[in-house]
Amino acid sequence: MSEAKLPVQSDDSDGMSYLSTLPQRVVRVYIPLALIVIVLLFPFYWMTLTSIKPKEQLLDLDTFNPFWVWQPTFEHIADLLFKTDYPQWLWNTMFIAVSATVLSLIASVFSAYAITRIRFKGANTVGGAIFLAYLVPPSILFIPLSTVVYEYGLFDTPFALILTYPTILIPFSTWLLMGYFKTIPYELEECALIDGASRWQILIKIILPLAVPGLISASIFCLTLCWNEFIYALTFINSVEKKTVPVAILSAFTDGDQYRWGSLMAGALVGSLPLVVLYAFFVEHYVSAMTGAVKE
Amino acid sequence: MTTRQFSRRDALKSGAALAGAGALGNLSLFANAWANANAWKPEKGAKLQILRWKRFVQSEEDAYMALVAAFTQATGVEVKVLNESLDDVQPKASVAANTGQGPDLFWGLYSLPHLFPNKCLDVTDVADYLGKKYGGWVPTAVTYGQSKGRWIALPAAYNGNVINYRQSMIEKAGFKSVPGDTAGFLEMMKALKAKSTPGGFALGRASGDGNAWVHWALWAHGANLVDKKDNVIINSPETVKALEYIKALSETFVDGTASWNDAFNNKAFLQSQISVTNNGVSIYAAAKAASGTDPKMKEIMDDMNHSLWPVGPVGKPTEFHIAYPMMAMKYSKFPNACKAFLSFTLEAENYDKWLQGGVAYLTHPLNAYDNNPVWKSDPKLSMLRDVAKRTLTAGGEGSVGEKAASALADFVMLDMVASVCTGRATIKEAISVAERQAKRIYR
Amino acid sequence: MSHAVAPTTLWSRIMNSRNTLGWLFMLPTAVFLLMFLVYPLGLGIWLSFTDAKIGRPGEFVGLENYIWIIEDPKFQTAVFFTIFYTFVASVAKFAVGLYLALLLNERLPFKAILRAIVLIPFIVPTVLSAIAFWWIFDPQFSVISWGLKNAGLIDGNINFLGDAWNSRWSVIFANVWRGVPFIAISLLAGLQTVPPSLYEAATLDGASRWQMFRHITYPLLTPIIAVVMTFSVLFTFTDFQLIKVLTNGGPAGATELMATMSYNTAILGGRIGEGAAVSTAMVPFLLAAIMVSWFGLQRRQWQQGSDHE
Repeated sequence: MSEAKLPVQSDDSDGMSYLSTLPQRVVRVYIPLALIVIVLLFPFYWMTLTSIKPKEQLLDLDTFNPFWVWQPTFEHIADLLFKTDYPQWLWNTMFIAVSATVLSLIASVFSAYAITRIRFKGANTVGGAIFLAYLVPPSILFIPLSTVVYEYGLFDTPFALILTYPTILIPFSTWLLMGYFKTIPYELEECALIDGASRWQILIKIILPLAVPGLISASIFCLTLCWNEFIYALTFINSVEKKTVPVAILSAFTDGDQYRWGSLMAGALVGSLPLVVLYAFFVEHYVSAMTGAVKE
Repeated sequence: MTTRQFSRRDALKSGAALAGAGALGNLSLFANAWANANAWKPEKGAKLQILRWKRFVQSEEDAYMALVAAFTQATGVEVKVLNESLDDVQPKASVAANTGQGPDLFWGLYSLPHLFPNKCLDVTDVADYLGKKYGGWVPTAVTYGQSKGRWIALPAAYNGNVINYRQSMIEKAGFKSVPGDTAGFLEMMKALKAKSTPGGFALGRASGDGNAWVHWALWAHGANLVDKKDNVIINSPETVKALEYIKALSETFVDGTASWNDAFNNKAFLQSQISVTNNGVSIYAAAKAASGTDPKMKEIMDDMNHSLWPVGPVGKPTEFHIAYPMMAMKYSKFPNACKAFLSFTLEAENYDKWLQGGVAYLTHPLNAYDNNPVWKSDPKLSMLRDVAKRTLTAGGEGSVGEKAASALADFVMLDMVASVCTGRATIKEAISVAERQAKRIYR
Repeated sequence: MSHAVAPTTLWSRIMNSRNTLGWLFMLPTAVFLLMFLVYPLGLGIWLSFTDAKIGRPGEFVGLENYIWIIEDPKFQTAVFFTIFYTFVASVAKFAVGLYLALLLNERLPFKAILRAIVLIPFIVPTVLSAIAFWWIFDPQFSVISWGLKNAGLIDGNINFLGDAWNSRWSVIFANVWRGVPFIAISLLAGLQTVPPSLYEAATLDGASRWQMFRHITYPLLTPIIAVVMTFSVLFTFTDFQLIKVLTNGGPAGATELMATMSYNTAILGGRIGEGAAVSTAMVPFLLAAIMVSWFGLQRRQWQQGSDHE
């Protein structure tokens, strides 16, 4: 990856903005921004609205303005939380996501360190090869992988996902962590090496603590990718109580040929919340991760 | 979707609850007697899992779960019922057959067991017993259930897919009832569109409703995918005529039917957006269930009715109702328990109640059940009694097997019709695509 | 400072031998990737040369599956649409993403919150936002149709997902909607590495906004653009869930992608060999798409002629 050898600037550099007047800015910046933000957010507004709309208002667009709701009801959300296995699905998804993330991080930390620091023979080739993994995405692999999953006896268990997700997560985390490790001055390690520390100790005691922001960012990415994964979860898990949230929501609210839209939307909404909460706390890390990564 | 697991304790609890209404009182007497007389004693410590399609009518599921509870009470065998959406049953069953592990029993559609006949438990003994006891199986049940002379599945029920229509709307368009011939039917649809009360039939990949009406329309004009010997004969003048008819019909539809799956017509009909469609009784059942609290639903319930399909130029009915075969897998550790469960399901004391709970959503495959009270309970439902006898089988004239199942799963006929109706292909092009696909499947 | 002498045990020799250690550290990754990626890939390619069905294993049939699908109009449509979808959606995502990044780079109040809000479409699992779109694009009950009807702009309901080209644009829209945040935030990060002094100097020299963008911003962004767009092209090409939920390849295969076709053929149709062939056929296209976006978008530093290399 080419290195942009530029210093990182702060966010609020004023730059040339003193030259543009307010009306200019409104037209040039604020209005387009507002439009884009509205389009980006509208489906969520819609999701939220539908999940609290009483049944009669859902389909009757002539009587009830669809952009608003009268006498909001929590029955759809209650249906979701209490009458389905939603809590179980939530637990499944979190468990799988966290486990897969932990496994991937461990593998990525070792690989990233090996490639950037240990510089063994063939390191760069291997580094490149890892990214070739993305050339074979889930939608290509899921058929043979399902056979492999049966052979290893993992079918219809969470481990089918926990062990297959790292193939999607490791390349990206490795790339991210490589970027982070490169920013740690080599002198620290040199000193430690001279003092007789082993590579293992260096990794654990020096590199990891310094790379915590990178680890957090990588974890967030991994968790997001796990939550978003669909095709493996659809193919490898059969039993209802073992399903993950995205797959379960889709099949839970269809009574054969009647879709319960209110609950479906409630499911979509509540299914998104855990990630949104996570990001609310860690968005700064996420953004700085992108910054750090693209610097490389 | 919750799974239900009935342990002995649960069964007793629910048993006690139902006994209060007197219902299970009789059932448990029967159940115990049956358990003693039944030829297939379940294995010790048996536990069963059955995967079925998710219910279309709530009362049908309730009745089914009561049946399952009664079985557990009679035999002590725990039964876990897994529900999947209709389209997912086939893939999951196929995967289980492939891997040799999964639910012991599957309740799927059409020719599912024929996708892996060697992996299905031979249930000829159960079928013979039930056939003898209950007036014999209808011919299509034999076709669906047997492979090479042995029964590999029991078509436990059929689902009647019929025309649902709004009486007031067709009257305004000048028709007292749904015409019995295809030409008259087209006229009615045109009139309905002219009065701004169009009908709508699914052109999207709706495996239930879509397949039902498309096969009806094609077969009614003598357009078959294959002949008796499984030769591909779709490329014929009859097919051209059929597609011309269908195209004319589709021009009377409401917009957007090409994106419809099985749920969309329900939605539209219940909102009075369409006057005519095809469906099982789930629309009527939904309207009825809500009629107590919602006056609009009551109005629809009163105003709507069902009708059998019109007859086309071939001169006889060419209906395509859904068959729901129930099969047990060879890999099951408890084959006797499976057989016991299958036979229990179709015993009168259980099946009768289940049919009634299904409010005509399900139709029986055994002739004795013609006398079940559900067929007399509501004049709007009575025509559904004979769907098992009237239906043609998947594959039309040809074999009911892996090839027919593959053709259905690939939506060969449905896509052909949809591409003509949406204008994406000319009739000739659509036929040649379908022919090519069919030749590959049927070679 | 004394030089500690490490005992020469096997362990410490491994620990200190650069190559052995390196490979040892790579082991976890290697295990995952070999077991769950390389082996299945090989298996998938093998399967594509057999007539395996879901109920039974298959026999070797050579190139038959491939010959079949190449001549199959449905496959050809799927290839066409996959390429079309990827190209149009990627260009749109890039354009809108870049524009949004430029907007967000301006001096704005509530910058942090805005960035968080903008990320939401990316955070929410695709399936769930697809469900929301499904409802928004409903043939009878779409809120967009309702709004336009009430504004007097159109007469009937818009057939979003029932007409071939409408459905194609609708799914492209949904994909762009979902992908813009990732690109915008990544490009924003890149924009923030451009020192304002460059802009100041250019303004003093009398450069217009457009010239500044073309000669300063864009060249400096190209490395980042190359990375981000390569990922984006990759994910778009192999997209599965959006189409599966919204249209499942309909109407009549108009929005079928190679990924959904592979799933439908293998799992629903039961023809695993054929499905595997469709999947494997994706690899050369994918390779080509990535080559184009990676090498096409990169500009060698020396070509920029700026004073930074």
